Amino acid sequence: MATEKKLTGGSLLFNVLEQHGVEHVFGYPGGAIMPIYDALYDSNVEHFLCRHEQGAAFSAVGYARASGKVGVCFATSGPGATNLITGLADALADSIPVVAITGQVATSAMGSDAFQEIDIFGLSLACTKHSFQVTDINDLAKVLHQAFAIALEGRQGPVLVDIPKDIQLAEVNGCLDKLVSLKNKVKLPPANVGSAIALLNQAKQPVLYVGGGVGMANAVDELREFASITGVPSVSTLKGLGAIDPEDENYLGMLGMHGTKAANLAVQQCDLLIAVGARFDDRVTGKLNEFAPNAKVIHFDIDTAEINKRRVADAAILGDLKVNLPALAIPLSIATWQDKCQQMKVDFAWDYNHPGESIFAPAVLKEVSDKMPKNTCVTTDVGQHQMWAAQHMLFDDPSNFLTSGGMGTMGFGVPAAVGAQVSRPTDCIVAVSGDGSFMMNVQELSTIKRFQLPVKIVLIDNAKLGMVRQWQDLFFNGRLSETDLADNPDFVMLANAFDIKAKLISKKSEVSDAIEDMMNHDGPYLLQVKINAQDNVWPLVPPNTANDKMMEST
Amino acid sequence: MNNYQLMIKADDKQVVLERILQVARYRGFLISGIHAQVNTGTNIGTIELLVRSERPIELLVDQINKLIDIKEVKVDNSASQQCIA
Ligand SMILES: Cc1ncc(C[n+]2csc(CCOP(=O)(O)OP(=O)(O)O)c2C)c(N)n1
Ligand SMILES: [Mg+2]
Repeated sequence: MATEKKLTGGSLLFNVLEQHGVEHVFGYPGGAIMPIYDALYDSNVEHFLCRHEQGAAFSAVGYARASGKVGVCFATSGPGATNLITGLADALADSIPVVAITGQVATSAMGSDAFQEIDIFGLSLACTKHSFQVTDINDLAKVLHQAFAIALEGRQGPVLVDIPKDIQLAEVNGCLDKLVSLKNKVKLPPANVGSAIALLNQAKQPVLYVGGGVGMANAVDELREFASITGVPSVSTLKGLGAIDPEDENYLGMLGMHGTKAANLAVQQCDLLIAVGARFDDRVTGKLNEFAPNAKVIHFDIDTAEINKRRVADAAILGDLKVNLPALAIPLSIATWQDKCQQMKVDFAWDYNHPGESIFAPAVLKEVSDKMPKNTCVTTDVGQHQMWAAQHMLFDDPSNFLTSGGMGTMGFGVPAAVGAQVSRPTDCIVAVSGDGSFMMNVQELSTIKRFQLPVKIVLIDNAKLGMVRQWQDLFFNGRLSETDLADNPDFVMLANAFDIKAKLISKKSEVSDAIEDMMNHDGPYLLQVKINAQDNVWPLVPPNTANDKMMEST
Repeated sequence: MNNYQLMIKADDKQVVLERILQVARYRGFLISGIHAQVNTGTNIGTIELLVRSERPIELLVDQINKLIDIKEVKVDNSASQQCIA
């Protein structure tokens, strides 16, 4: 029913947010967004003050990924808005539903190089799914509804709404519009079910290639059902981890540049590749024209533009995975192939033997994984520690492993953990970070302190930009260039400065007790794990090389 | 290099033209010509876009189609072939 009360644009914003079930937002105030922050004062939405807008954007991403809800962040015009951009790019690359609200200078000042005026609307074109600039108060409610609908519809993604200050202050009828559905929805061609069934029946050595789309489509159950009925051996992308039950006997682990040997060999040998919500990313395929060279391809996706983009599909199954996976789940007779894959899994299992006193990061992360409570959500930063987490930790749902996949953004881990903890206050949240990445959004320790978020940070400290150092050693003749971080701050003291309990370990014998202390601690905790700077991530498929030609050590 | 002509229909919304140009450039298509006009009665814009690229045109069609304000994208085959000749 229509209410006739007059509202400001700022209050209307919060009414619409509440209409969409938004309880939490992450942001940072400033001049051009002050009317919205004034309206926040009277709203039921809880605001989390981050200490940098990039932190706010990543917290919104972490919130969305951990909860399946839309993440919302606020920033002021100019520098506030530009600071959001990396987070929006990250959300676009990983298809994460985020709505970003930016303040803008008043419409009368727009285009005059006003103080803190930047064309964020123009800047948003390359780093959002869609964006709006509201220039008429009467459009505000409709635009906001559309922003939420677009963020969630089809392939999800970030939407930016730029709101000039006079629009935030303008009076508007308090009547709340109905939620609208989208007008120009992309129409999908019919799924090629007949040919896909034929391909499945012909296949002797099929592999299921699972991507992040499965979690996004909320189709984990349907995928597992498909895997169990067909019995097809499966591999996962970085973002797909958790979709397949990691204990499934036919699951071979992650594929691609740092994938398991079993996963990469199975894909290279397969005669049918069933890609589900995956996009043949270059970190997955290695040298593209030698990727799965003998395979026909069935490609399940929601985005027409992904079909035939990097690899031609013999059968394209466009649409909702929840509907399409069950339609193709037929029993197959592939016992010989299953045995072969299971044997490879045994033959190439991880080896945690590591000589010497120094701590072996893969073993630490495996132990954290073994000891963490059920439903723990792990976030990572970017680098060697990220790949070790992906390789050695087990996740039973994609919403329990949040990592910057498409963009590979250092600085993601801690703010994403903040967002995850806000969305799931009773679950354990572990951020696996590196000494380089950690410093990129270290200010967010303040957010952890302010809201007493019990995030556990495992800081893998090699005093290096390790992943870049590894490449310099392997592919640039050991000419180390700007990758040494020997002058890192005292991380324990740094954490303590934010009232965060912290401990440094450097010997194998200290690992187990330290992990237990961290897990048993009620509040936030930082465990700094000193490792050998020379440790490398294996296996590694060198750039522009086929995935079966992986290096396993030097 | 192949030449293609696209016929695009779009809602007359903010920056729709900029979005189309940005997608074309980013996806590896050079713009050889453009003609755009709006029917003020229906608020539907019609854009004729001439592009050239080594890449298949479907890549661009699919990406433009994903833009929220787009109603229709067609490849004008007759025009495209003329250009190739
Ligand atoms: C924002 C950003 N800048 C630069 C890079 C390039 N890069 C990738 S990994 C890496 C090193 C990361 O170091 P650290 O966080 O210590 O992780 P480690 O590899 O040592 O485990 C760098 C610089 C990046 N991914 N993101
Ligand atoms: Mg490091």
